[in-house]
Amino acid sequence: MAQTPNTQIKIEIGEGAAIPVKSDAGLFTAWRIAFFGAILTCCYLAFVKPDPYLEIFRFVPDGILVTFKVTVGAILLASIIGLVAGLGRISGNRIINGTASLYVEVIRGIPLLVQIFYIYYALGRFVKIPDMLSAIIAMAVCYGAYLGEVFRAGIQSIPKGQMEAALSLGMTRGQALRQVILPQAFRVVLPPIGNEFIALLKDSSLVSIIAVSDLLRRGREYASETFSYFETYTVIALIYLVMTLFFSKLISLMEERLNADR
Amino acid sequence: MKKFRFLSVAALLAVSISATAMAAPMNIKVATDATWPPMEMVDTHKKIVGFDIDFLNAVAKEAGFTVTYKNTAWDGIFAGLESGKYDAIISSVTITAERKKKYDFSDPYIQIGQILVVPKTDKSTVTIADLKGKQVGAQIGTTGAFEVKKNPGVELKTYDEVGLAFEDMASGRISGVVCDEPTAAHFALQRKEYSSKFKIVGAAFTHEGYGITVKKGNTKLLALLNKGIKAVKAKKIDEKLRKKWLR
Repeated sequence: MAQTPNTQIKIEIGEGAAIPVKSDAGLFTAWRIAFFGAILTCCYLAFVKPDPYLEIFRFVPDGILVTFKVTVGAILLASIIGLVAGLGRISGNRIINGTASLYVEVIRGIPLLVQIFYIYYALGRFVKIPDMLSAIIAMAVCYGAYLGEVFRAGIQSIPKGQMEAALSLGMTRGQALRQVILPQAFRVVLPPIGNEFIALLKDSSLVSIIAVSDLLRRGREYASETFSYFETYTVIALIYLVMTLFFSKLISLMEERLNADR
Repeated sequence: MKKFRFLSVAALLAVSISATAMAAPMNIKVATDATWPPMEMVDTHKKIVGFDIDFLNAVAKEAGFTVTYKNTAWDGIFAGLESGKYDAIISSVTITAERKKKYDFSDPYIQIGQILVVPKTDKSTVTIADLKGKQVGAQIGTTGAFEVKKNPGVELKTYDEVGLAFEDMASGRISGVVCDEPTAAHFALQRKEYSSKFKIVGAAFTHEGYGITVKKGNTKLLALLNKGIKAVKAKKIDEKLRKKWLR
């Protein structure tokens, strides 16, 4: 038998970008180079080679809006599903607990691409739902499972004494959960939810397969008509990069705020 | 005597070389998006079949080369040709002015038109223009999609495969699908699950010639293909194939 190491090393890797922290004062951080580099490259390309780059920039903006809508819609819906699933996972009730666990296990075991296909076309067989909403539901059902685990971990990270103290003050379990545990847990789960948001933004490109006119599909439509594949995907990649880096920064600012008034 | 032996060896060598050259005819790699029945599709044995496949096999036989097919997604099929992943495309490719600027085409081997398919419940639609304010589906980067785009006020929805567009129309998300006539007939008339739901409206409204696409400047392959196409047409094999695949 192999010897088990004495020390356990925990590796944590986020989905977002490497955001410069205040202590790291260097001007040329990876984030800055990537973010401003991407924006400058976009401007340079549009200015120096307006055909086809400027054309592409004119063609895709409604796609950016769709990508944004799908991402925000899905993260909101996924947070609700995730909270329910997370609470279900720590519930003492066997049926609730089992159902929530089963949901998490099943969803996390199926590739997102397959789920999107399945939910979109399966839903279509039974109910008439507009395409954008189907895309949001598909993304939310998937990410709800991941967020469920985030919420579960967040709630479980609050020391047991908090619940016991709340109960001894005469609160019911529900009251204690709502007024004592969840507000604290929320603070813990915000950073990982931010990470999931970034991951979802990137994965939202998958909805282009179900004919939702998001950023990637707009790009593909342009490329398929003009055959300028290289130029189009260069632009699409740069726009995604700017978006994810921008939101990563936003989320890190939010985290900083949260930590500041702690 | 010695000289004679040398000559005979040389002759033998020459024969064997020419024999191997004949035994291994040129093989060309051809991409096709096998989601476009009945022109090209994958049958239950996972084999690529269809009019285009039979046609190119006949051309290959006439012109003396062999073909290896590569099932490739339509979106990006031209990019693959450009980067040299295969030598040619036979995938119901309409010869258009824009495509001709970038690629070379064989002589047209069949004439086909675009046609509109709508749900049977739709009693009023005659042309695409009647579907103003509604969504009409087509496969991405096809002439069908370009035709829909020509109608202001009609929203084009592009799909990776035309089958997905028909499925989306079956679930009521879109109001019409535009594609090549044979493919429309296949989905709207021959498929059991769709024939009760869809109907073809009017006649084909474009006239398009399909060509085999090769990289710009590949005149050698183009000459070979055109030679084969000419022979196939002269022998009227294409008419037989038409009867077999396009009823």
